Amino acid sequence: MKSEYQPKVIGFLCNWCSYAGADMAGTSRMRYPQNIRIIRVPCSGRVDPLFVVKCFQRGADGVLVSGCHPGDCHYTEGNYHTRRRFALLREFLDYLGIAKERMRVEWVSASEGQKFADLLSDFTAELAGLGPRSKILDG
Amino acid sequence: MARIGVFLCHCGSNIAGAVNIPEVAEAARRLPQVVHVEDNKFTCSDPGQAAIQQAITEHQLNRVVIGACSPRMHEATFRRTVTGAGLNPYLLEIANLREHCSWVHPDQVEEATAKAIDLVRKAVARVAWQEPLTPKHVGITRRALVIGGGIAGIQASLDIADAGYEVILVEREPSIGGHMAQLDKTFPTLDCSACILTPKMTMVGQHANIKLMSYSEVEDVSGYIGNFRVKIKNKSRYIDMSKCTSCSECVKVCPVELNSEFDENLGKRKATYIPFPQAIPNKYTIDKRGYPPCRVACPAGVNAQGYIALISQGKFKEALEVLRRTMPFAGVCGRVCTHPCEQDCERGQVDQPIAIRTLKRFMADYELKTGREKAAPVEMTKEEKVAIAGSGPAGLACAYDLVRQGYPVTVFESAPEVGGLLRYGIPEYRLPKEVLNNEINYIQELGVEIKTNTPVKNLTEIFDEGYKAIFLGTGAGVSQKMGIPGENIPGVLHSLDFLRQVNFGVKVSLGSKVAVIGGGNAAVDAARIAQRLGAKEINVVYRRSRAEMPAIPSEIEEMEREGIKIQFLAAPVKVLSKDNRVIGIQCIRMELGEPDASGRRRPVPIKGSEFTIDVDNVIMAVGQGVDKATLPEDLDYTNWGTLCVDPVTLQTNIDGVFAGGDVVSDPADVIAAITAGKEAAISMDRYLRGIDMEEGRPETVKRVEEVSKAGVISKARQSMPTLGVGKRKGFDEVELGFDEKTAVEEAKRCLNCAICSECRECEKVCEPEAIDHEMQDEISEEDVGAIVVATGAGPLDHTQFSIYGGGVHPDVVSTLQIERMMNAAGPTGGEVVRPSNGAHPKEVVFISCVGSRDERTGTGYCNKVCCMVMAKQAIMLKEHAPDTHSYIIYVDARGPGGKIFEDFLTRAEKEGTTYMRGQIDSVAKQDGRLLISGQDFLSNETFNIPADLVVLATGLMPNEDAARLFQTLHISYDAKNFLLQAHPKLRPVETAMDGIFIAGCAVAPTDVPESVTQGGAAAEYVLKLFSQESIEAEPMTSIVDIARCTGCLLCQQVCPFQAVEAETLRDGRTVASINESLCKGCGICVAACRPGAIKLRGFSDQQILAEVMAL
Repeated sequence: MKSEYQPKVIGFLCNWCSYAGADMAGTSRMRYPQNIRIIRVPCSGRVDPLFVVKCFQRGADGVLVSGCHPGDCHYTEGNYHTRRRFALLREFLDYLGIAKERMRVEWVSASEGQKFADLLSDFTAELAGLGPRSKILDG
Repeated sequence: MARIGVFLCHCGSNIAGAVNIPEVAEAARRLPQVVHVEDNKFTCSDPGQAAIQQAITEHQLNRVVIGACSPRMHEATFRRTVTGAGLNPYLLEIANLREHCSWVHPDQVEEATAKAIDLVRKAVARVAWQEPLTPKHVGITRRALVIGGGIAGIQASLDIADAGYEVILVEREPSIGGHMAQLDKTFPTLDCSACILTPKMTMVGQHANIKLMSYSEVEDVSGYIGNFRVKIKNKSRYIDMSKCTSCSECVKVCPVELNSEFDENLGKRKATYIPFPQAIPNKYTIDKRGYPPCRVACPAGVNAQGYIALISQGKFKEALEVLRRTMPFAGVCGRVCTHPCEQDCERGQVDQPIAIRTLKRFMADYELKTGREKAAPVEMTKEEKVAIAGSGPAGLACAYDLVRQGYPVTVFESAPEVGGLLRYGIPEYRLPKEVLNNEINYIQELGVEIKTNTPVKNLTEIFDEGYKAIFLGTGAGVSQKMGIPGENIPGVLHSLDFLRQVNFGVKVSLGSKVAVIGGGNAAVDAARIAQRLGAKEINVVYRRSRAEMPAIPSEIEEMEREGIKIQFLAAPVKVLSKDNRVIGIQCIRMELGEPDASGRRRPVPIKGSEFTIDVDNVIMAVGQGVDKATLPEDLDYTNWGTLCVDPVTLQTNIDGVFAGGDVVSDPADVIAAITAGKEAAISMDRYLRGIDMEEGRPETVKRVEEVSKAGVISKARQSMPTLGVGKRKGFDEVELGFDEKTAVEEAKRCLNCAICSECRECEKVCEPEAIDHEMQDEISEEDVGAIVVATGAGPLDHTQFSIYGGGVHPDVVSTLQIERMMNAAGPTGGEVVRPSNGAHPKEVVFISCVGSRDERTGTGYCNKVCCMVMAKQAIMLKEHAPDTHSYIIYVDARGPGGKIFEDFLTRAEKEGTTYMRGQIDSVAKQDGRLLISGQDFLSNETFNIPADLVVLATGLMPNEDAARLFQTLHISYDAKNFLLQAHPKLRPVETAMDGIFIAGCAVAPTDVPESVTQGGAAAEYVLKLFSQESIEAEPMTSIVDIARCTGCLLCQQVCPFQAVEAETLRDGRTVASINESLCKGCGICVAACRPGAIKLRGFSDQQILAEVMAL
């Protein structure tokens, strides 16, 4: 049994770029920390900011929202909405008692398996550094 | 109650190797609603699928979870599986245990197993909320779009068209053919490339089912598989394709020559061109890149590039015609213009700007010297008479433009002679009367009536005489006073009066010492005239410094050469007199303070710095103003005493009365006055025709974006010959102008920024009248059911590899340049030569993997074609000249493509090519040749090979702007802009976007046979699609719960597909309604919906939250 703290990470990945990018990391046998659980969505624009809040409520230590690069959205402009919505949510996280760093919005394309793996390693390490979240909300 | 079955796949050891499947199965059994769990070695195999179907029946499963590979891999497979057992295909969820788990955590069995359990639990939670969905069936437009007319696109087009379906082939260049058309021979058969390609090109051109849109680009794509709508921009060729007979007469007269892209910059082409003789379509194209900077900088929009191009060809008369399309004053402006065009001249970035003004003057001088035929009068096609008051540059320019449109124009001039300020304000040594008269005569010959000694006093009278519009260009003819003591003493002259008297031949007597006050052209002119009238000691007093002096710099320079002094930073305080005679002028020193409204630094007097200059006369040249007394009544004036006009239309407060030039702007320069006259002419024409005067004004002009200066050899601007200072006694012209030879030399320095110079010589020789310089780009919309993207790739520019001498030594060339040289129709007529001296190269060194297999300089991967290209060229070099010896310096040498490919490499070696595995350290110049130094990896020795020619085999990369097209199409591409396949092995010509297929070098570097194969394969997928009756569309669309909808319609704003419509219910409430056939299922509206009224089928809030709750 490992005593080391393992942050729990939930990722919302768009089907066309980031989910495929995560697949690419897999097919290329890249390694990254096991902490993430991926939820597939058609577009990062589908992700309701409340989903992210819900994740934190349910005990997640970090949440990743990832979509196509701006300009490359499969649905033309979904990720522009994502970018705006989560810029706003980010400002609210502190108010909710959650460190801003615990949420990341990233752009990963279908060919960026390496970027996805690197991102996960970095994010997990950062969350580990932050330590367990003090759960002031229901958990 | 859901009855869920969970099926876990081992995927051999792919999953089972890292995940403890029995443990996962055990955990799954304990999950709510799960009634059956089993695992399988290979779930995707037939037995695996059969097991699922059997379990569905046996255990009455109504939901299925499969823990296997990525849903992107086998979701479609398993949907068919469950459908086979009578279950709705959407009641299936896949837990990605391979790509997202076992493969990325291979040596952490404990963690991977825990993660797999989480993923299965998440899938179970989600599938419980899944509803059965029914795919929609939509029709198919059986018409294909192929983008890219290289060999891959050609093959795809022909295959689809031959199968009986219509194809639109879009190619952005003027001809199809792509890079294959540039090749001389193709490996390994050494077929002549053109011989095997051009028959296919011709078939494309003639095929009844192919609509070829060359010189066109795809601007926008909307819709989905079977139902795309494409917006295509057909770039203007400025030549009507239906009329062009390809006679090439236009090429003979075109004065603009530039490097031929098709010949890889080794040959030349004209601005009007076909890329190569066998081009399809075989029609000419005029290459225009916008307006040249000189034309943009000129307030009057004079097309300097046009006349300079013709001067460079010795067509001096024709050049003057180009100028006269805009304005009649070659001789005047060629002498006195402030030439803003030269400031913006791109040549100035290389060395010095073109002497545009002097070239303009040259045309007029040449006409005066050789004689001019009387201009033919313009036919008066308009009835409305126009009156113009004032015959200065503004009035005459206005008259010139209107008379050429067929208006009867009368110019009223108050003075006894025509020309306004041009005649009485500019001294003859700068603008000889002969030159001015010639240009005024020309305007009169066109039909402009000029009445001298006839001031316009009353506008009503003019209208009563039948004139329908009036232009006031009466100038600013009153000298302003300084308001200093002694200004009214005889002997103090005002520059305008002084210049007027001198120009009209009135004798003016000056003393020997003269002071001129002011720093503008009028001051400089007055000083230089005073000297010519006999004054010995002349001081120009100017209150600012040299940098602020507004007079033309060359004029100031000439003035100083003539011995006239300038007192900078000094201002007069009072004129000293004795017996009512000027004896001196008292001045004060100034210093520069803060900038004033004009942006120039304001001069401030320095206390106690007064000084005196002894003079006999003072000439004031401190400004001019408008004389209201000479103007008709009822006009509005500005605070500055100038006429008040609309800034765009130049109409005064009186309807039909326009004004421009100095009377509006206060003293400006000649070109500004001409511009005002021209603008007023536009307004007056529109006014008389009853059209909106403001629409489209001021005109926005597209300046040419980038001007290539590569390979331009520095050459100084021709200097202006002037009359020796000692000879400047009378009023002989000081600047002498260019002779013919100098003019041609100077004109040849022009960079032809806009490519086509719009000289319009081609129009004169085109018998079928196919040329239309006003042609506009056309946008068309086409409906298609499938798209093939074959946009290709091109070699990296070899000149960027300076490490191998590229761009440094002219004898370092690219493989494509060798192809062009070897081609009998190429720039060297089939001879491979050294570009530096045209000599035959005996030793040739090929360097492979330049910008490929090298992330630092290009791509990280193998370019695939270079080994074969180099072998082919080495063999061909030997065939062309048996004494040629080639070296191929390689990293690896392979002939991928089967036995005959590998044999080909062996043949090259057998025929005498030296293959050396190694690395290049340097390519240096030595004794007129090149010395290639490096390491031989096999012998471990260094080598130094002297060579005549170095050939770089550079990597292939898609065009830089390809990404923009791919974004429009919503298809994925990698960091190097190569397209991504739906699956690199099993779906090589498909993309993640249904209905869009890919082929050729746009995907990865390919040789000709591979491109043909892929083009054919893409066509096959298109035909497969077209053979279906209808297509199933994803049923995962959004739906509105009208009970919860508040009608805010935020969803309508965020929907990228215009799928949301407002609907009014019977109770009067407005709610959102989603058009299912337009909805693509992105879910942006769902996240935007505040009352939570929108549900995305298949990705509902309940489903996603169930996943969150399960984790």
